[in-house]
Amino acid sequence: MIGFLLLLLLLASCQKFDEVFIEEDLLQRPQAKRCADCHADIYKEWLKSRHAKAWVSEHFKFETENYSKTKCLSCHAPHQVDPDKKPVLRVEFRRDGVSCVACHFKEETMAMHGPLKVWSPPHPSIQDLNYLKSNFCAGCHQETYKEWKLTKVQKSCQSCHMPSLGKKDLIQKFPFHLFHLAKPRTSHEFPSLKAKPDDIQIKIEGKKLLITNVGVPHNLPTADQGEPKFYLVVKATSKDGKVKTIRRILSPQRKNALVYGRPFVITLPFEHIDKVQVEIHRKLAWAKERDLILRKELTP
Amino acid sequence: MRKFLSFFVLSAGLVFAEEKIVLKKPPSSLDKYYPPASTKFEFLSNMHAMSTAFYGINANINEGNWEKALMWAQKLKEIYVKTSKMVPEWKNYFKPELADALVNAVKSKDTDKVIKASRNLGQTCAKCHRDNELVVKLYYHFPSFDKVKLEDPIDFMEYETGKYMKVMTNSLKALKVFLSQGDLDRAQEEGMNFIERARGLRAMCSKCHTNKLSEEVILGKNFEEGLAKLEKLLSETPKKEEVFQALGQVTISCAKCHNVHLAPAMVREAFSR
Ligand code: HEC
Ligand code: HEC
Ligand code: HEC
Ligand code: HEC
Ligand code: HEC
Ligand code: HEC
Ligand code: HEC
Ligand code: HEC
Repeated sequence: MIGFLLLLLLLASCQKFDEVFIEEDLLQRPQAKRCADCHADIYKEWLKSRHAKAWVSEHFKFETENYSKTKCLSCHAPHQVDPDKKPVLRVEFRRDGVSCVACHFKEETMAMHGPLKVWSPPHPSIQDLNYLKSNFCAGCHQETYKEWKLTKVQKSCQSCHMPSLGKKDLIQKFPFHLFHLAKPRTSHEFPSLKAKPDDIQIKIEGKKLLITNVGVPHNLPTADQGEPKFYLVVKATSKDGKVKTIRRILSPQRKNALVYGRPFVITLPFEHIDKVQVEIHRKLAWAKERDLILRKELTP
Repeated sequence: MRKFLSFFVLSAGLVFAEEKIVLKKPPSSLDKYYPPASTKFEFLSNMHAMSTAFYGINANINEGNWEKALMWAQKLKEIYVKTSKMVPEWKNYFKPELADALVNAVKSKDTDKVIKASRNLGQTCAKCHRDNELVVKLYYHFPSFDKVKLEDPIDFMEYETGKYMKVMTNSLKALKVFLSQGDLDRAQEEGMNFIERARGLRAMCSKCHTNKLSEEVILGKNFEEGLAKLEKLLSETPKKEEVFQALGQVTISCAKCHNVHLAPAMVREAFSR
């Protein structure tokens, strides 16, 4: 290891060093899989993310009538991501969807921008603390970002949807990875997550059932153009044994999603309630299946 | 010069003299100039270019600048000829010799000749527009409502637009019927179903629109308030007149949305069958 460090020092003192190792094509907006030559782990994570599917998604293809609704395309295959700015449509490699280059390469500096201070001979890198802030996501997740801002919760989108993986290597390419120390890594799977039963508070007040999102700092569910849904089934039983079922679909597009901190109210069908069973399932915008969020029984 | 200016108004845009309009499905070779095959709208942009060139001839002759006018005439001819090769099925609409004639007329610097040549060429534009412009506008610039699927908030089933409208309207009719015959329990139940279904209409807008303002224009405050009023009336002992009044407030939005979308939707549907 010492030997490598010496070699490194020696090379670093040589002025032309950076130019020797630079790989020109990396600055010519290559496909995502080119980044995998070194960033193999990050690439594998990203492949599992919805960002990698943003263009090829069968559902997206259907909803845009085979990509003919032109105003729909830019966020699903963006050219360059900048905080707060709606991106423009990329020309090349659209199948990559929301890709590495789109999120990290900046035309203005001809360099990769990222959250860390790194030494990266194959391509110039610039540390840019905007990557840690929620407004990095805001140009596309416009509605969700607005909702998040109103909650005044400090935790960023990244802290929940790009959870920390601890310290790991950024690159896996031999022998170069030996020159670099492990650094803080974040999950590029961009998990959709799932609300926990405790994130949703449910209580009965007189003839009303109140359902409140107390745990997730944006609407539940939240979206821009997709339509994730919560399926709410409330089964009320009266003191004299009558049963009535109320069903609702809650979604951002229907403007009835659970706003953070604000109760969603359902009027119960009986004066004298014996018990109320509540079941919530959710379906993500792109998913076919519903999964259970909670099942609860309440008495007044 | 007045005569000259007003003539050009005729050479572009929709011209309907007939009492009957026949819509023919556009030839499939036009597909390649529209999304998804292309996002550059090549055919349409040639139309704009020809129309601009016509204006260029006109404006320069009005100012006595015949050289510049000739430049625009040549440009018009060039695009006209190019466009005539884009859609083989429409080849016969074009008369390239008339574009030549217009160039020669401008060369002759004789205004009367230019007017005559312009009119002749313009008639080839107008004929094709009469036969095809409307249908191309509807077919290539309007997405299909058939492909829009909506999940019903009551039975959790997925329907296409037409079916959803029918199911929603059935609960509306049921509300009216049960209310009129004094069957209040049933009226209440169907009424609540109608309200939820009407609220669910919103879910379809984002399938075509990316600006939330479009949604508000039609399903704005008036619509929301109408539904809230209806909900309140139904949760008490509903009075017929008040319910019908609230319904009126809600259905204004239905009519507005139909006015904007229904005609093109019906044409698209006819072609997709
Ligand atoms: C260039 C636009 C763009 C940017 C910037 C962007 N996203 Fe996305 N994101 C999308 C699109 C488009 C989808 C939907 C992809 C699909 O499923 O088709 C998506 C999906 C997601 C999903 C999955 C949602 C689901 O329905 O399962 C999460 C989570 C997410 N993004 C988080 C983030 C976070 C966190 C950031 C900021 C660090 C971010 N995104 C930045 C466009 C973007
Ligand atoms: C401002 C950026 C933006 C634009 C423009 C945009 N989308 Fe999206 N889209 C997103 C984001 C962000 C997501 C992920 C969150 C969500 O589900 O809304 C998404 C998700 C989706 C999804 C769900 C994921 C999937 O693969 O099924 C569909 C469908 C979709 N968009 C369709 C459209 C359609 C249709 C249009 C045009 C009417 C459109 N989008 C325009 C940003 C955008
Ligand atoms: C030939 C190897 C190689 C390839 C290929 C490569 N990188 Fe890198 N990259 C590096 C190295 C080395 C580092 C620094 C690693 C370290 O310090 O641990 C780095 C760091 C980064 C960083 C971190 C920057 C920061 O300041 O936080 C980003 C972002 C990045 N690369 C993006 C990309 C993208 C996008 C691609 C594909 C277009 C790519 N890289 C392709 C070698 C490569
Ligand atoms: C939606 C935008 C987006 C996409 C797509 C994306 N990244 Fe990132 N990337 C980020 C953000 C934001 C961070 C900072 C996260 C943090 O530190 O909280 C980051 C961090 C990084 C880092 C620093 C180390 C780490 O794990 O935080 C590297 C290296 C990197 N990305 C490379 C890549 C590569 C390679 C790809 C493609 C395989 C890629 N990124 C795709 C947004 C993106
Ligand atoms: C405190 C953690 C937290 C923060 C901060 C957060 N989210 Fe979420 N997010 C969640 C959870 C939990 C879910 C899963 C909700 C569910 O069960 O559907 C979720 C779901 C999503 C979804 C998928 C649609 C849905 O509702 O299921 C998207 C898209 C999303 N978040 C985007 C963002 C964006 C963009 C930001 C920043 C503006 C952000 N989130 C901030 C926890 C968080
Ligand atoms: C072979 C058929 C055909 C011929 C010939 C033709 N057009 Fe058109 N034109 C069309 C069609 C079809 C449209 C509608 C295109 C669309 O909306 O995408 C159109 C539309 C237009 C428009 C309206 C553009 C808009 O944005 O609505 C103008 C202006 C126009 N044409 C000018 C001309 C002129 C000038 C000529 C003759 C020099 C001409 N066209 C010849 C078929 C033709
Ligand atoms: C199948 C696609 C489609 C759906 C679904 C749809 N629209 Fe439209 N709408 C259009 C098109 C196309 C136009 C013409 C203007 C344009 O191209 O955006 C339009 C125009 C409009 C306009 C006038 C122009 C504007 O944007 O202000 C309004 C208002 C509008 N729609 C409201 C709505 C509302 C409200 C809904 C949901 C209840 C809805 N639309 C659903 C396709 C659709
Ligand atoms: C997007 C705006 C939009 C709104 C809002 C809307 N409609 Fe419609 N409606 C349509 C379209 C588009 C069709 C044609 C669908 C088709 O046949 O494919 C339609 C069709 C219908 C039909 C005929 C269904 C059939 O096929 O027999 C009825 C009835 C109807 N709507 C009632 C209503 C009522 C009642 C409301 C208000 C509560 C309403 N609509 C609100 C767009 C709308």
